[in-house]
Amino acid sequence: MSVNRVLDAARPGVRAAVAGRLRWPRAWLERETVFSWLMLTPPLLFLVAFLGYPFCYGVYLSFVNRPVARPATFVGLGNFVNLWYDPIFWQAVWNTFRFTTAATVLKLAGGLGMALVMHQHFRLKGLTRALLLLPFIVPTVLSTVAWQWILDPGMGLFNRLLTYFHLADRGPSWLGNPTMAMVSVILVNTWRGLPFFGITILAGLQTIPAELHESATIDGAGTWQRFRHVTLPLLMPVIFIVTTFSIIFTFFDFQLVYVLTGGGPANSTHLMATYAYAVSMGGGQLGLGSAVALAMVPVLGVVLLLMSLYVRRD
Amino acid sequence: MDRPRRSKPSTSRRNFLKLAAAGAAGAAVTSSWRPRYGVAKPAQITFLRESSFVKEFDEHFKNVLAPRYQKETGIKVNYEIVAAGGSAVPRLVSIVESKAPVDVAWVQQEWLYRDGLLDVSDIAEELGKKGGGWYPAVKELSFWEGKWKSVPFGNIGQVMVYRRDWFDAAGVTTFPDTWEEFLEAGTRLKKAGHPYGMSMGHGYADNNSWLLPLLWSFGAQPVDKAGKVTLDSHETARAVDYVRKLYKDACLDDCVGWLDIHNNKAFLTSQISCTNNATSILISAKRDLPSMGKVTDQALNPKGPKGRFHSLVATTHAIFKHTADPEASKHFLRWLMDPKQVTDWYRSGFMYYAPFLHAYDNDPEWDKEPRFKPDQKVLETGKLPSWPAPADHRAGEVVSKWIVIDMFAKACTGKSTRDAIAEAVTGLKQIYG
Repeated sequence: MSVNRVLDAARPGVRAAVAGRLRWPRAWLERETVFSWLMLTPPLLFLVAFLGYPFCYGVYLSFVNRPVARPATFVGLGNFVNLWYDPIFWQAVWNTFRFTTAATVLKLAGGLGMALVMHQHFRLKGLTRALLLLPFIVPTVLSTVAWQWILDPGMGLFNRLLTYFHLADRGPSWLGNPTMAMVSVILVNTWRGLPFFGITILAGLQTIPAELHESATIDGAGTWQRFRHVTLPLLMPVIFIVTTFSIIFTFFDFQLVYVLTGGGPANSTHLMATYAYAVSMGGGQLGLGSAVALAMVPVLGVVLLLMSLYVRRD
Repeated sequence: MDRPRRSKPSTSRRNFLKLAAAGAAGAAVTSSWRPRYGVAKPAQITFLRESSFVKEFDEHFKNVLAPRYQKETGIKVNYEIVAAGGSAVPRLVSIVESKAPVDVAWVQQEWLYRDGLLDVSDIAEELGKKGGGWYPAVKELSFWEGKWKSVPFGNIGQVMVYRRDWFDAAGVTTFPDTWEEFLEAGTRLKKAGHPYGMSMGHGYADNNSWLLPLLWSFGAQPVDKAGKVTLDSHETARAVDYVRKLYKDACLDDCVGWLDIHNNKAFLTSQISCTNNATSILISAKRDLPSMGKVTDQALNPKGPKGRFHSLVATTHAIFKHTADPEASKHFLRWLMDPKQVTDWYRSGFMYYAPFLHAYDNDPEWDKEPRFKPDQKVLETGKLPSWPAPADHRAGEVVSKWIVIDMFAKACTGKSTRDAIAEAVTGLKQIYG
């Protein structure tokens, strides 16, 4: 028997109540507060479980002495005091800043150039765009192993090219010299992160109305002036977002350095993330390792605050 | 990953009868399994190992030992392999912390997580008595606070691997016996276009395996037996100066940043004439590059003023405290280490893991390939990386921060001997107090 026939047979009061009950979930969902919380709850639970809990546990660990498989003992700021006097920690901090700054600047400049070229019309544009995304798509560990071969002193592509074109008798030691090792990890990070900048800035470029360029051209603006006074100002919001994300990704980078150099030679490429891992997972000092990891958070917070203040000022 | 499962307790008569019938049938087949009162046999045991560089070794376990154990006991062995090259220790640490469902494991650097391991004194004592005794150096690792926390398995011998043809061509017909002769030969070889490649980067074995023995052989010790930092000495300065000269005159520039895989790659692509490594280079060369395999040889570390030393890369087997069934795990480990099983297993890997029991000192397998013999001899002069300090978690922190290794690497990349030592001493004092 269908619902309508049941309702027809019922008295008007009962009928209204049944219809009301049937409408109830829908009406309830129509309420904006209810619906938004319903949508927010799954991601919130996810964030609490996989981000909030580990983060809070990490904060707790940073205040305790906690060797693996042993109970924790509260040490207050002891781990941070320990780090304050730890030269390897300060080297890792300095390396992390150098690495993040250099890689971000290179990615920004290269990504902008890549986007401007990709914005032009040429044959096989779609295929070229797809290929340029490859470094971003290939798993980092896999591509870094390939880079190990590329940077190999005797068999590597770089040194072979240098010797083939008689640019050097023997190429440099890309990973054996502390300065070159840092240059190498910055280079590989730039290679991997460039498509992220390129594609995002390209999306920003495509939103700039052509009329603005046309009127600037009519007003006598050259290519550089159009770029400087039309393209760049309109791209700034996109550039800000993409740079902020990149700083976060680069600051926390781990895989690349871990696979390529392990932080060597002589700690010259040790980043805060690789040092935190070495102390906690390699050295079994979970408390001290968490303190290294936690030390990254306020530093990054200050960087992001400064950036947002800069953008607001403009 | 499956946790070892027990049969669910049953209350119904029919289920009880079914279980009893199955149990009786199982007992008939699995005569070696002795069920304990009230405890059902586990369905499976999870055994974790680092992937071996000798593939035959892993294959032997998978194809011979695991099926044999299942046939004898009805228990399936879930053989879990962790990628080699430094990822095993962090995995073991995370297993102990998260109490992941692994029962028995091949362990390395157990000083980090010893408190999470079960007492296996009964198995280790029994094997020691029957097998002619354990090498004393490994006892300092496995025997802790009056208990055996792991059963020693074998040492991955780290020795000098060199190209005999290039050494011969340079007029060095026998491998250098002292560090001074080693430098002299290396200088000649580098001039001939065949430099050494001595790892000094952030690896886990190939750097410690020659730098620590070199330091010890010069009479220096980072930390003494009582845990006092003793690195700042004339002997250390001499060792640092020596390594700087060796690096400059005899080595490929790149080796100062090498991880454990890099020297294998460089040797097998004919870029270097000598390195310190496990047998994996020789095994790979023999298997994949026969012409190179014929001219590749191995030798013990050269000796210094205070003698000849080697650094042990000790591998042991342990049972996690959180195992679902400690008795079942012990039964498996005892069975595995029984000579009926373990002897063929050692041999399947060409003695890559040199047994810590004296009973294997003269195993005929050592005679099949004389070039593997130095790996066995390493046991006579081998010390743990912490030596002479106790192999505790502080020693683990020194290794994982590469404090001693980086002292040499810094000296090779421009730091003065005094500064390189001073920085290492600061690092050691932070750990040892």
